[in-house]
Amino acid sequence: MSALADQPARQSQPDGSQTSAPNVIYRWDLDKTYLRTDFDTFMSLLRTAFEDAEDKRTVPGAATLLRELRQSGNGRARICFISGSPRQMRKVLTEKLRLDGIEFDEFVLKPNLRNMLTGRFRALREQVGYKLPALLAGRAGVTDKTREVCFGDDAESDALIYSLYGDLVSRRVDRTVLEQVLRSAGTYENDAARTISLFESLPHAEAVERIFIHLDRKSPPSKFDRYGTRLVPIYNYFQAALVLFQDDRLEAAAVVRVAVEMVDRHAYSVEALRNSLQDLLRRRRVSIDTVNSLGRIIADGAGARDLLPALGALPGTRELLRSLARGLRELGPLSEQELGPPPVDTPIDYLAALADLPRRHKQK
Amino acid sequence: MSGHVTERQPITIVIDAMGGDHAPEEVVAAACALSLEAPGDHAAGSKSTSGKSSGDKHATEKPDERRDGSEPLHLLLVGDAPRLHGLLMKQRYDAERIAIHHASQVITMDESPREALEQKPDSSIAVAARLCAEGRASALVSAGNTGAAVLSCLQHWKRLPGIRRCALAAVYPTEVRRGEKDDPFSLILDVGATLDVTAEDLVSFAVMGSAYASRISKNPRPKVALLSNGAEAGKGPKEVVAAHAQLRQLRGIHFIGNVEGVDIPRGVADVVVCSGFVGNVVLKMLEGVSETVVRLAHYAYKEKLMWRAGLAMLSGGIGKLKDLTDWKQYGGAPLLGFDHLLIKAHGRSQAQAIQNAIKVAKKGISSGLLVEMERGLREAEALRTKTEEGNQ
Repeated sequence: MSALADQPARQSQPDGSQTSAPNVIYRWDLDKTYLRTDFDTFMSLLRTAFEDAEDKRTVPGAATLLRELRQSGNGRARICFISGSPRQMRKVLTEKLRLDGIEFDEFVLKPNLRNMLTGRFRALREQVGYKLPALLAGRAGVTDKTREVCFGDDAESDALIYSLYGDLVSRRVDRTVLEQVLRSAGTYENDAARTISLFESLPHAEAVERIFIHLDRKSPPSKFDRYGTRLVPIYNYFQAALVLFQDDRLEAAAVVRVAVEMVDRHAYSVEALRNSLQDLLRRRRVSIDTVNSLGRIIADGAGARDLLPALGALPGTRELLRSLARGLRELGPLSEQELGPPPVDTPIDYLAALADLPRRHKQK
Repeated sequence: MSGHVTERQPITIVIDAMGGDHAPEEVVAAACALSLEAPGDHAAGSKSTSGKSSGDKHATEKPDERRDGSEPLHLLLVGDAPRLHGLLMKQRYDAERIAIHHASQVITMDESPREALEQKPDSSIAVAARLCAEGRASALVSAGNTGAAVLSCLQHWKRLPGIRRCALAAVYPTEVRRGEKDDPFSLILDVGATLDVTAEDLVSFAVMGSAYASRISKNPRPKVALLSNGAEAGKGPKEVVAAHAQLRQLRGIHFIGNVEGVDIPRGVADVVVCSGFVGNVVLKMLEGVSETVVRLAHYAYKEKLMWRAGLAMLSGGIGKLKDLTDWKQYGGAPLLGFDHLLIKAHGRSQAQAIQNAIKVAKKGISSGLLVEMERGLREAEALRTKTEEGNQ
């Protein structure tokens, strides 16, 4: 079997594709990151497989955040999905994205039927040998200036794969480590060879600037300490929006629109958002200066001029903005010594990280 | 935009995270576990008086509203922020439902409450009570120094109208089952907050105890009795006799008269009212008897093979009895009489006991307990005024 035969199918959305070179790529996983998917039991897996697009549920705030990211960066932001769902689900998944008003540039799904028919049963569940080459292939054709922000979840090995991808492209990890990881993960030889070949063909770039891991399973945040400051475990997309505001990837109005979606469509309270903000502050993933700056912008905007016209006539919007601004100010007195220890960056031991993953990600 | 979802106003409980023998580790563990439960889980309870349990997300609630128990629970941990944060980071929890408020000082179990509160204004219990008073939360749970907890509430909270002194209540298992949930527990109050009482205090304790039993145990018409040395209305000290006369005229509660000590474990009354001095003696005696029975069983186990075999056959039933009398299941003692609710958990509480205490606190708020108590107290006050006017 040729290496090419196992390449994941990449599909671009004809009307959504960007003509100019992207300056930022937002890479999203689907299940448990964008979609509220439950496949922890066989029955729920079956249910997920046969669900219509209308029945699929989006993680609160994710749709608005994606739309905001798409519109950011002067039209040079690219949205790419890479999912472990089988290719047979393409129609229903793209329909779901269409219903949510999400435009995308690339949509990569796993060739699970082919894996099954060719007896590659390990590949059905193994993610490193699928996602890593898919990410590296997606990097081809973009300039070394193009930055990337990756979104995954804590259900599988997204933290490891995205971090490894970033470190491979930046050459912080060499071929030897890559070979060891692929072997340890139980990646098939042809997938491993293709991954190494892609790695060697890519030019050096500091590509991955941020990785968000949605804590769908509420894994302890400390579990991700080994991945350093680039990776931020998040409980919800309000937190992601706050970090992206700090990173100058989103404007304050976009952060508010994400919050409004969560309150308006998913019954979040302002207190829940405030707790989320405090959590990020304590973890030092956003700075107090950032929070104060956002608070000032929201407080000014709550009067009407900048933010409200963009938000439309949502019920309770003004109250939400005022509460949020008030909440942000209330969080102000948090002093330096009340915060948690700052996260540290140390070289990542990928073999140890792989060994700590649930059994199915490792070679038996 | 279509598809708006109505927000369910959360209930926020403030936790003295540094209080108790196993704080803050066990307190944080309890908060983390509760933050992961769906909102409705906190409403359920197999032991309803104790609150032991068998939505969407997500602090400021209106205590005058009765809710249905499915409101999201938010927890505000008060204590050493970096330490609490460090503990949170190692656990599975929902950050949307837990916040931390820093308090730099701790009052230990062996400190004199009054002096400690004077010397430690930034203690976790004092800050927690203050946050409740400021409207940041509706109820407070503490496993710390009882005296400091009660004094903090006295300093920061308002008494309900007509309340002169507050009461600490406790539950105990009885022969009888009661209420919607077949609750085997009766309530006794006061068990130590007010040592010397007046007749008016006893009446207000009766009203608050009745409200507690009706809302927390879902017992629509709890039987309320005064503890005395005889069933006759004229028996007992003068404040008990006077309280008896007033309670007989009160329509809002189901007063069944006096009960004696022997009636307590029999479950003759659902709510037993007494002074803090008497209640504390009774409670300690009940605990002592329970422990003695267990020790006697151990003695029997060693003494004869036949007895050992008999006990082995009874082990399932004994296990259930032990569970019934296990204080960890009860969820702590409520302090009644204030505009907020304090649930005082046992000093030795570990995560499970603290979780139950928090569940009771939430149930108290969501069931409209404070409103029910206020309504009963207003009626008692009106009756008292009418009686005084009649006497003039």
